Amino acid sequence: MQPRMPKQAMNSNLLKTGSPIFVIALAGFVTATFSNEEITYEKNVRPILKTHCFHCHGEGGELQGGLDVRLKRLIAKGGDSGEAFVAGKPEESLLLQRLHEGDMPPEEVALRPTADEIATINRWIAGGAIASREEPEDLNPDNYVTEEERAFWSFQPVERRQPPGVTTNERVRTPIDQFVIAKLEANNLSLSPDADTRALVRRVYFDLLGLPPEPAEVAAFVNDSSPHAYEQMLDRVLSSPRYGERWARHWLDVAGYADSEGYTEDDPVRPDVYKYRDYVIRAFNDDKPFDQFVIEQLAGDELLTPPFENLTPEQAEKLIATGFLRMAPDGTGVGGVDQNLARNDVMAKTIEIVSTSLLGLTVGCAQCHNHRYDPISHEDYHAVRAIFEPALDWKNWLAPAKRRVSLYTDADRAKSAEIEAQAQKVLDERTEKQNKYIEATFQRELAKLEEGLREPITKAHNTPEKERTAEQKSLLKQHPSVNVSAGSLYLYDKKAADDLQKMTDEASAIRETKPKEEFVRAVWEPAGKAPPQTFLFHRGDHEQPQQEVSPRELTVLTSAKSIEVPTNDQALATSGRRLAYARWLASGEHPTVARVIVNRIWLNHFGRGLVPTPGDFGALGVEPTHPELLDWLASEFVASGWSVRELHRLIMTSTTYRQASRHQEEADAIDADNLLYWRMPVRRLEAEVLRDTALAVSGELNNKAFGPAVPVMADVVGQFVIGKENLNAGRPGAVIPMNGEDLRRSIYIETRRSRPLSVMAPFDLPRMEPNCTSRSASTVSPQSLMLMNSEFALTRAKQFAERIRRDANDDVAAQIALAWQLAFATTPSDDELAEASSFVEEQTKHFAANPAPESKGKQVDDPAGEALASFCHALLSSNRFLYID
Amino acid sequence: MNNQDHLQSTRRHFLASNALGLSGVALAWLLNQDKAFANPAKPELSPHAFTLAAKPPQKPARANAMISLWMQGGPSHLDMFDPKPELQKYDGKTYPGEIKYDNAAQASATVLGSPWKFKQHGQCGTELSELVPHLGNVIDDVCLIRSMHTGVNNHGQSIQALNTGQILAGRPVLGSWLTYGLGSETQDLPAYVALIDPGQLPVMGVENWNNGYLPALYQGTVVRPQEPRILNLTPPARLKGEVQIRYLDYLERLNQRHLEQRPGELDLEARIASYELAAKMQTAAKEALDLSQETAATKRLYGFDDPACKEFGERCLIARRMVERGVRFVQVFTENQRWDNHNNIRSALPSACKKVDQPSAALVADLKQRGLLDTTLVHWGGEMGRLPVIQNNAGPAKVGRDHNTYGFSMWLAGGGVRGGMTYGNTDEFGHKAIENVVSHHDYHATLLHLFGLDPEALTFKQNNRERSLLEGQGRVVHEILG
Repeated sequence: MQPRMPKQAMNSNLLKTGSPIFVIALAGFVTATFSNEEITYEKNVRPILKTHCFHCHGEGGELQGGLDVRLKRLIAKGGDSGEAFVAGKPEESLLLQRLHEGDMPPEEVALRPTADEIATINRWIAGGAIASREEPEDLNPDNYVTEEERAFWSFQPVERRQPPGVTTNERVRTPIDQFVIAKLEANNLSLSPDADTRALVRRVYFDLLGLPPEPAEVAAFVNDSSPHAYEQMLDRVLSSPRYGERWARHWLDVAGYADSEGYTEDDPVRPDVYKYRDYVIRAFNDDKPFDQFVIEQLAGDELLTPPFENLTPEQAEKLIATGFLRMAPDGTGVGGVDQNLARNDVMAKTIEIVSTSLLGLTVGCAQCHNHRYDPISHEDYHAVRAIFEPALDWKNWLAPAKRRVSLYTDADRAKSAEIEAQAQKVLDERTEKQNKYIEATFQRELAKLEEGLREPITKAHNTPEKERTAEQKSLLKQHPSVNVSAGSLYLYDKKAADDLQKMTDEASAIRETKPKEEFVRAVWEPAGKAPPQTFLFHRGDHEQPQQEVSPRELTVLTSAKSIEVPTNDQALATSGRRLAYARWLASGEHPTVARVIVNRIWLNHFGRGLVPTPGDFGALGVEPTHPELLDWLASEFVASGWSVRELHRLIMTSTTYRQASRHQEEADAIDADNLLYWRMPVRRLEAEVLRDTALAVSGELNNKAFGPAVPVMADVVGQFVIGKENLNAGRPGAVIPMNGEDLRRSIYIETRRSRPLSVMAPFDLPRMEPNCTSRSASTVSPQSLMLMNSEFALTRAKQFAERIRRDANDDVAAQIALAWQLAFATTPSDDELAEASSFVEEQTKHFAANPAPESKGKQVDDPAGEALASFCHALLSSNRFLYID
Repeated sequence: MNNQDHLQSTRRHFLASNALGLSGVALAWLLNQDKAFANPAKPELSPHAFTLAAKPPQKPARANAMISLWMQGGPSHLDMFDPKPELQKYDGKTYPGEIKYDNAAQASATVLGSPWKFKQHGQCGTELSELVPHLGNVIDDVCLIRSMHTGVNNHGQSIQALNTGQILAGRPVLGSWLTYGLGSETQDLPAYVALIDPGQLPVMGVENWNNGYLPALYQGTVVRPQEPRILNLTPPARLKGEVQIRYLDYLERLNQRHLEQRPGELDLEARIASYELAAKMQTAAKEALDLSQETAATKRLYGFDDPACKEFGERCLIARRMVERGVRFVQVFTENQRWDNHNNIRSALPSACKKVDQPSAALVADLKQRGLLDTTLVHWGGEMGRLPVIQNNAGPAKVGRDHNTYGFSMWLAGGGVRGGMTYGNTDEFGHKAIENVVSHHDYHATLLHLFGLDPEALTFKQNNRERSLLEGQGRVVHEILG
């Protein structure tokens, strides 16, 4: 399992932020407030023992020391050393002694109970060691989950409550505002004033498109005084094809999208996977209902009838969607890898991706043993595994190269065979010619030897290798130069080799004329086979299978409503497991899915989710700051037919979203972390947005959409740059022109796991191992160095300067004003203009006094242009450019 | 955002509000700490905080820095380091044993005795050829290993073996492991520096300083032979100096004005500070690369007055300056295949030796006189040696030697290695290592030992597997330790 920070430690860290608001905001959710509540085994003590002790004292097969601590009465009974506690007498209780002395849990157990936890146990015993109810007769799997655990907020059904009434009604634009203002008012806070129109339009463009508004677009909104100007602007922006590119990126983060397999150092590319990326972009652009989006990704293949031949575009799309289940790092196509381990790792990572992206739970811990914090048993984990087992069957595995479904039609195939025959003809001629060349070379080399040797060597040469006598072998070894082969011919006769190469090229050229065969990288179940069995793996080890497990949802998620996952649905060509599961997740009745999705959308508008841990809605996550709002949004989302676009509108038309981002001292004193949304947070551009924006502002962005990834390679110093690899003995060869492909949006640039693009990597570009549930925004010096000195930044600055020279007239003031509008979506003040002009003037003077040296025989002397580029460079590296208000 | 981010947010608040009052080093450290959380995986109980902060070794260490002079192509041990009377005796005759030739077309079984004379040097009396006279001057500080073996007869794989521990591509190189294990003593300069030749890159190109599966923090930073010397760290020549000062000054004013309208926005303050730090790193790099501070005597020592070796001498001197300033690992490369003498060995090998012999010896002497040799390990060698027989038997001026990874030489000095000794032997023709064979694994095990790194503990978890430099192989060659 992933060791996680114990809840108690985390809460105390939250409190250390020094913001009392955490106490206010979270007090309602903290499970135990000792002062006014009775301490019980189930509520207070069991979670601690579950984390630190259950594994050896109850769940791990053999009971250590004969002690089981899973029930109060079992602790009372004690183990080999006698009763573990004496009610009311902590000082006489063995359990506490062992904990205090630090010899339990033993040192090799990584998770140590904190002093607070031990104190809780102490108080419990002192208070009489109370259990909250009669304990169950036995500990069978059916009563694995306790009442207290089931009561945890995220396992409850979504509950739609009326938006609360508020005093400051004039700020309410949508019900979202009522939820937010109610909490603010309770804490003597209020929403900030509306952001000014220029800040707002810039915010909307970056949020929805990940690109800045053009000056004309800013003007169109700022000058529109109609009452619905804002809503109309939203609609305009939402209908841009750039929208899907921006929001697909968010989903690709949680899906763990990569154009390569990862896992091993080879990190082979995944040539067909881009179709999945394009599918996601189209899904957002088309506002594909999210329930359908989920079903297609988990079970698109089960919506079709095999065989997958002569597919229509709609059918192909359903298969492409299942690429979601092919995102995990996968080493099974590489030699030297422990296949069985690697296959099971793919399964584990796939479950991790599915659970963190859709369930909002980290089930990975339960791969090896019961989850230490959440009520997810070892068996639960394998039940979920059973859902995916028929498609990702480690005993009947499809290597990466074989998970392709061809989109060739029968007609394509016939045409291709015809062309192949032509190519083969050329190759046959080539083989014939090659044999002649080899023979001629052999004769030439032979002639260089003493006469007497020629005959025996010819004989040895003509004898098939296996039949040669020891003498013949030795003879050939002594005269290595006669051992000419197809592989070594070039060393003797370059002209012959070139001639043969020409024929190879000719055959390749003929093959190039075949209709291009495209493939889908997909998941499917083998037709006509009984689904494989799933076994619980002791300690997660596939070599230690135990009892068989049937497919089903995690027990704790089926408290209110349960669904059946069939073992083998006879109505379908497949097992029907994933399809049934996907439909349950997308049913609108699942406790977490809709919450998880709306939380992600919120996160990407506000920089933080209502649940600040978007991949973990469990005990170790952070509880929602606005639980009622979260549920209200989730129910609205489902009611709207799972329309992401409607959700954007709902959120973005709220006053909460439209407010200004300025700090206010009094509010800071109460809620420095802005947990209650008294202002819009200032956010830094993400790595891709930064790159795209620099290209957009400089006028270079190539908006070509879709298709194979633009390749990434190492440059001469080992930085990862856009380019086609052209290596010679591992060294970079000539640079191959990219013809504008290098200027495309970042989502189309190859995400090879081992080659993070050097321009983006410092800006918190996530590593997909296997996915990224939320990004961070660090502030570190390599970012500054990149913006100050990198070729990328300097080239953009130069192009930016050329653009403003082209688009504004020769007047420096006009040029500065245009640059300002492009980079910041606003106009410079008089002071700013004056400051900028004097900067440009000074730099111009310098460059004029220091003419550029001749370059390639040309004198490029353009002090004004160089100065303008320097000015543009400053804008592109400034905070106003990097941050969104 | 996750739990770690909450913690991080706290630190950022702290950092930003104190940023301007912190010393550069402390700030760099903090910023690096921040960087470590840039890609938080799952919050773990003890989060992997990847930093370049100096870390103590796990065991007592002899070496704390390393300079590797990397002679790509395969210097002919038979003509420089490993005299063989039998070879001379058989000169021009047929080689009596088995040989694996790489280039069949030019292969011959005729033995090539070394055209160069050997003599004893120093108190230790180690025999060296006349091609490396300067090495003779420092030979009492040098441990010459004559029994290296990788057993993979092509450049790429043998480079990988010596550089990454295995013949596979894509693994982290030695410098990445050392900086991963020990961090850096300086936060103003890259922890791991690759000084490349003005000529072509060596075989395997940028893989030679690749961090593989280790975090990118541990990748080697290339110092280029021309401006900008360190990409991103220094601007192109045209934008240096005044131009950049004005740019930074204007940027600062833009950012301050922006901040004034957003009081209390701590990230913005932190970013202003990070530009200051970046500028400071530029100054430190410029200073480290500025050889004008060196005395005439030092420059002479490194061969600055000899055009044949001046350029390599400059890089050796930069290597010393880097190590003096706390850089952990420096590798100085010769250009692609400089030592790959398949033909014309009679002219090509002396020229290669001329380029590096004086500067290499100067580096050892200079480190010693500054008291740095005790803790700085110097390595000199390539990925292979050469065969005892002729390749390209087309006349005395044209003959050469083919690849040989079954037995070759390299030398170490300082950093806890015993000087004035030779170790291991090849057979009587210098073809195969036969006595006290040192594999690439043994070489690496010995290096880790010298740096106080426990090979079992210096691991990195990748996809559920503990990866390491040695992958369980190799023995420490205790016999060469001082």
